[in-house]
Amino acid sequence: MKPLPPTCAAAAVGIGLRQPHYEQVLEQDVDLAFVEVHSENFFQQGGAALAVLRRARERYAVSLHGVGLGLGSAVGIDAWHLERLAALVQAIEPVRVSDHACFARALRPDGVTVMHANDLLPVAFTPASLDIMVRNVQQVQERLRRTLLVENLSAYVSFADDCMGEAEFLANLCRRSGCRLLLDVNNLMVNALNARAGDPVAHCAAIVDSFEAALVGEIHLAGFADDGDIAIDDHASRVRPAVWQVYRHALRRFGRVPTLIEWDNDVPALEVLLSEARQAAACWPAGAPSPDAARP
Amino acid sequence: MTDPAITLEATRQQVLLAAVRGRSANAADVGLAEADERAHAGLQIYRSNGSALAERALAAAFPTVQALLGAEDFKRMAGAHWNDVPAERGDIGVWGGGLPRWLAEQPALAQWPYLADCAQLDWLRHVCERAADAELDAPSLAKLASTDPDTLWLVLKPGVAVLASAWPVASIFEAHQGATPNLDTAREAIEQRRGEVVLVARSGWRALVHRIDLPTLEWTSHLLAGTRLSQALDCAGPAFDLPAWLARALRDEWLHGVRDGVRDANDA
Repeated sequence: MKPLPPTCAAAAVGIGLRQPHYEQVLEQDVDLAFVEVHSENFFQQGGAALAVLRRARERYAVSLHGVGLGLGSAVGIDAWHLERLAALVQAIEPVRVSDHACFARALRPDGVTVMHANDLLPVAFTPASLDIMVRNVQQVQERLRRTLLVENLSAYVSFADDCMGEAEFLANLCRRSGCRLLLDVNNLMVNALNARAGDPVAHCAAIVDSFEAALVGEIHLAGFADDGDIAIDDHASRVRPAVWQVYRHALRRFGRVPTLIEWDNDVPALEVLLSEARQAAACWPAGAPSPDAARP
Repeated sequence: MTDPAITLEATRQQVLLAAVRGRSANAADVGLAEADERAHAGLQIYRSNGSALAERALAAAFPTVQALLGAEDFKRMAGAHWNDVPAERGDIGVWGGGLPRWLAEQPALAQWPYLADCAQLDWLRHVCERAADAELDAPSLAKLASTDPDTLWLVLKPGVAVLASAWPVASIFEAHQGATPNLDTAREAIEQRRGEVVLVARSGWRALVHRIDLPTLEWTSHLLAGTRLSQALDCAGPAFDLPAWLARALRDEWLHGVRDGVRDANDA
């Protein structure tokens, strides 16, 4: 008899907690290992959103996923932002804290004041850029007194003078700063498609293989749009078959890793999101030990 | 860090961010690996992200402005404001405070002279709904009967704010609260150029708009500025009715409590 797939809780699978699902997720016992929220959406000092997050924390483990630290910003980390994040971390006691390997802050054309892109802009893969990100990640970790997970980007432009690959950049970042990696498999695929990689799945699998298993603290899965000319990481649809393929490869290499289904735009009914989560749980390799027996 | 290589990265990021904001579309300027057409397509994705985010963020904070302008004009306005007034923080929820003044300075919007004040009211509500949660400190009210008002301060709840407008901002706001806007009253008030004064305060999670009179405006402004009770009463003038105000402040959840002793930074 074919064994039942593990539950999402056992397989360490969670979903992004988004406004249309607040009541269902908060009032039902949903099979989830954790819920993830964008940290910046809860930086306010009070109000309804923060109350929802506190309720969620009573029922689920919460992962705080940032989109605004701008860890690669040469002008540094915004102290205001870091203090707000620290306060949220203290209040929510999240299971993980993460942000992206991007820059977001830079000087305005006046050369004096700093503006924030409110987007995930790509950094150059150069030694100087690595120095900047190591410095910033260390600053964040020292303030939060915990290990940060840093996510690889989907990037739509790159720099002519890049002198290392993204995987090498991120591995060096983890080694030098002590952070861990949030591996977004969908972002790997989007970049592979936009780079016109001959076999995108093999290309992504090779990147997965380049990371030490112990470095990876969380995996993200999402959908992307592809008009045939350019792929866009829009988090607005189901996970694509090629991304599931790479995910299964990643599980074989890394073992159980907490995995998030991200769906931020055109958010569907909760049941659709949960079916994606169950599919992620079912990716646990056949014949592998129970996820509960796997490494934490 | 003063390493020249770090400075170069800072410059590179400044140039890319400017390009994303539409100030340069030349891949060579930014040192991109992609050829011009591909670089343009990549930069365009970031520009589209920015425009969409600006529209979403401003729509959440300025529902009355959106209703007044209509979806398409609001979208164009949001994009223009995004380009003119960049965000400074990574929390997009704190971006938009400059919109009222910016709207007042737009010649194309001169046909809506009340728009800036409507935006200001929307923004006060937005800020109020994000303010710290606070319950009434009921025991502190006993100080009103037992303590010299020269050493008392009335403390309003976080997020309480007032707005005096030469336009009927409360009527316009109220006209857009139902599923179907009822603009007759507001339109008439606009034609009469009837100014309105309002106080914004939270009830539960929602920021409500309360109409107030000029003495109450004067009084509330002094409380918000941290003026002691006796002095605030003097400034509010003889028309101000403290017992009536207290009853309303308790009913409508404006009052946080009464503080005595030396004023500290939290009073302001």
